[in-house]
Amino acid sequence: MEQENYKIKAVNLLRSRICDPKFIFINESPESNHSKLKFMISSSVTEACNNSILLLGPRGSGKNAVLELVIQDLLQEYPDSISVMRLNGLLHSDDISAFKEIARQLCMEHQLLFSKAASFDDNSQFMVAMLKECGLAHKTIIFVLDEFDLFAQGKQRLLYSLLDAMQSITSQAVVLGISCRLDADQLLEKRVRSRFSHRKLLFLPPSIEDSQKLLMHMLTLPIDPSFPQDYAVEFNRKVQNIIEDRGFLETLNKYLNVDSSVKHLLRFLFCAVSRMELQTGFLSRENFEIAFSSIQRQPKLECLRNCSILELQILVCMKRLEVKEQNLCNFNSVMKEYKSTLTSERYARHVCLRAFEHLIHRELICFTDNRGQSLSVEFRPVKLLISSAELHQGLRANNSCPPKLLNLMDREG
Amino acid sequence: MPVIAAKRTLRSHPSSPPRKSPRRCTAATPNSTPTMNRFGADENRADPEAVKPKWNPKDGEQLKRVKLALHLSTAPSSVVCREEEQNVVLEFCKGCVEHQKAGSLYICGCPGTGKSLSMEKVKDKLLNWAKEAGLPQPDVLSVNCTTFTNTSDIFTKILGLNQTQGKKVSATPLQQLQNMYSQKSSNKNMTLIVADELDYLITKDRGVLHDLFMLTTFPFSRCILIGVANAIDLADRFLPRLTSLNCKPIVVNFRAYSKDQILKILEERLNELPYTVFQQQAMELCARKVAAASGDMRNALCICGRAIEMLEAEIRESACNLNTSLEEISSSRQNLATAPDFMKKREFETVRTDHMARALSKTYRSPVVDTIQSLPHHQQIVLCSSMKHFRGAKKDTILGELYKSYVGVCKSCIIPPAGILEFSNMCRVLNDQGLIKLGQSREDKLRRVSPKVDEGDITFALQGVRFFHNCL
Repeated sequence: MEQENYKIKAVNLLRSRICDPKFIFINESPESNHSKLKFMISSSVTEACNNSILLLGPRGSGKNAVLELVIQDLLQEYPDSISVMRLNGLLHSDDISAFKEIARQLCMEHQLLFSKAASFDDNSQFMVAMLKECGLAHKTIIFVLDEFDLFAQGKQRLLYSLLDAMQSITSQAVVLGISCRLDADQLLEKRVRSRFSHRKLLFLPPSIEDSQKLLMHMLTLPIDPSFPQDYAVEFNRKVQNIIEDRGFLETLNKYLNVDSSVKHLLRFLFCAVSRMELQTGFLSRENFEIAFSSIQRQPKLECLRNCSILELQILVCMKRLEVKEQNLCNFNSVMKEYKSTLTSERYARHVCLRAFEHLIHRELICFTDNRGQSLSVEFRPVKLLISSAELHQGLRANNSCPPKLLNLMDREG
Repeated sequence: MPVIAAKRTLRSHPSSPPRKSPRRCTAATPNSTPTMNRFGADENRADPEAVKPKWNPKDGEQLKRVKLALHLSTAPSSVVCREEEQNVVLEFCKGCVEHQKAGSLYICGCPGTGKSLSMEKVKDKLLNWAKEAGLPQPDVLSVNCTTFTNTSDIFTKILGLNQTQGKKVSATPLQQLQNMYSQKSSNKNMTLIVADELDYLITKDRGVLHDLFMLTTFPFSRCILIGVANAIDLADRFLPRLTSLNCKPIVVNFRAYSKDQILKILEERLNELPYTVFQQQAMELCARKVAAASGDMRNALCICGRAIEMLEAEIRESACNLNTSLEEISSSRQNLATAPDFMKKREFETVRTDHMARALSKTYRSPVVDTIQSLPHHQQIVLCSSMKHFRGAKKDTILGELYKSYVGVCKSCIIPPAGILEFSNMCRVLNDQGLIKLGQSREDKLRRVSPKVDEGDITFALQGVRFFHNCL
């Protein structure tokens, strides 16, 4: 019984690590983005100056996670001197709701009464007044603008008011914009861009060596009394062997060559750790291979695998028409091809029409134009949406595909 | 816990009185300009070494005062390099106040050229002049047009200055103002209206802006209107009827700062400190770069602040190296005599040109090349395929065609291509970062693709990778 307990505990520990940004992104090197960001914000707090910073990087590279870690550290160091206001461009993209949200968070932070009936002018003047009061009290307000490029649409009143208030002597604030667009500062209007301080922190995906170090960091168990000593040592030795295996490295490179962001790697680890054998209690290479196969899916191939024989025949006929330089076709031309190709075991026309409509619903084929809605399905032009290679693989993967159809496809290919 | 700076005390009571540099003559003939510049440069080079010691970057107090002098929010006591423009506006306002007549003025210029700061100074000077001359003090209204939800709110604000006249509830604020200015009233005070960011009042019919400037043409109008915006031709483009009605505003243009002006403003701010912070060449480099790029004074101040941070980071690194070398010294005592010289040499540094060059490159360099170099391998192949695809007359294509080109590049390099789903996911990631542009379509394959990054950037970023030698 205790045997099963510590194995389950090992799986839970690894899974909780994968979901914990603190375990992933804490990096005390002076060159890391964590240290740079912490230095910038703490300089603004201790030296009572205003600052505006842009965090740029692709999705999944840890921008928000690193910022939350830095804010937690600063709230521990300066508990009475920092207020954090969080806005999201998806939720507060128009200026009225953004100012209202700032007023609501300011009221909650300082135990004031928030009025829902306050107008745009009241909320913006309240924000400027609160910035002055906090500046006189030596308190820094940190504005976190997630999805910063969505705030840059429209007249940019929020950005202008924030950055203009930061130019005054009494206010004390840091504006942090988070965006995945590299040209986020080019979207700003010229007077907002002039007031922005053009500080950018670039979050780049890790290299292959850093990803392997992160793997080792994530998957090794601690040598402490929570796990039996020989089990932890054996576990770490097996993990080391897996990571140094050439086949595993090829799989990892294949996986990271498509997307090397940290979140993509963590999804891979989560799938692998979730399939760990609880009988042996160890990770194996098969866990990672199965995780790689399950993540690397082809939904159109799976869609083809579930097609009926008649639907496959219709797709093959459309592919034959495509090979004959007919890019557009409709149901009638497909039926003509169907009759000339398959001389036996033919279905009735209305049954073929039902199969044709089923293919349209599955979006393996689609109408080429949205006009002509009044036309019957039989006369509207359609287009095949899968490539020849995909159709070929789909026919081979289908268990109930007759060999004659496969030969027909091979002859055309 | 580190002590937070006492912001209010530092700003309201500077410990040393401000010291002004000798003001150079701005009205110089073209022939004498090189001589004057050479003489000024010689004076500036000799003066700090003779009079001021170098600063100590490790002193926290000195560091705070330097950063305070360079911060945007520190308004200088006198606005340097804008005396001519201020005098034009001040004389215009004086004439209006003296003769009790209305007038309008339009001030234009790029962001960061000191328009709003100069208007603050003009207001103060006008009020002081009216007090000394014994004339009635004008009422002053400063509005920022970005704060209006409705563009007509500016009339409510102007009306709010004359609260005793606002008895008629039925009329709109504009009508009340027009009625008030159409008849003689007992109030003799002039009203100075400074409307900042004036182009936020532009509507489709341009009615608000037109009515605002027309207020100055009423027979008993007492307002002096100053509009501030960025566009030079705003009055011509949006108010063409004012020309025919003979009430076009006078235009004052704030040109972008030149290299000499930026240098002068920086020296003016730093001369209030009793020590030397920057090398002269470093300040010259900053002034030349910013004047060539935008002429924006905010940029120059931010870059100087970042150069100081470069020096701070270098001092922190040298402190770590010093600790390491001290550990080595304790193990071998041969280098003991050189340690004090090493420490003495490192102290009292000024900001040099290499610090300034790094700060400038951080501000002006685009992050595109770094991002392309750090993309995963297949995303780099996608960018390379799109570059080859769009080389020529093509402007955009659909995703299916780009996928064929991508498969071709993969086959020529003998690597297995990703599937169509992964390919479209990669294109979405590149679109999110702004490297390519994806259109909207119901079906993935039919989305339109167009490039957003220059071909030279992609070539420059990928030329170091041996894999792409044949493709580029």
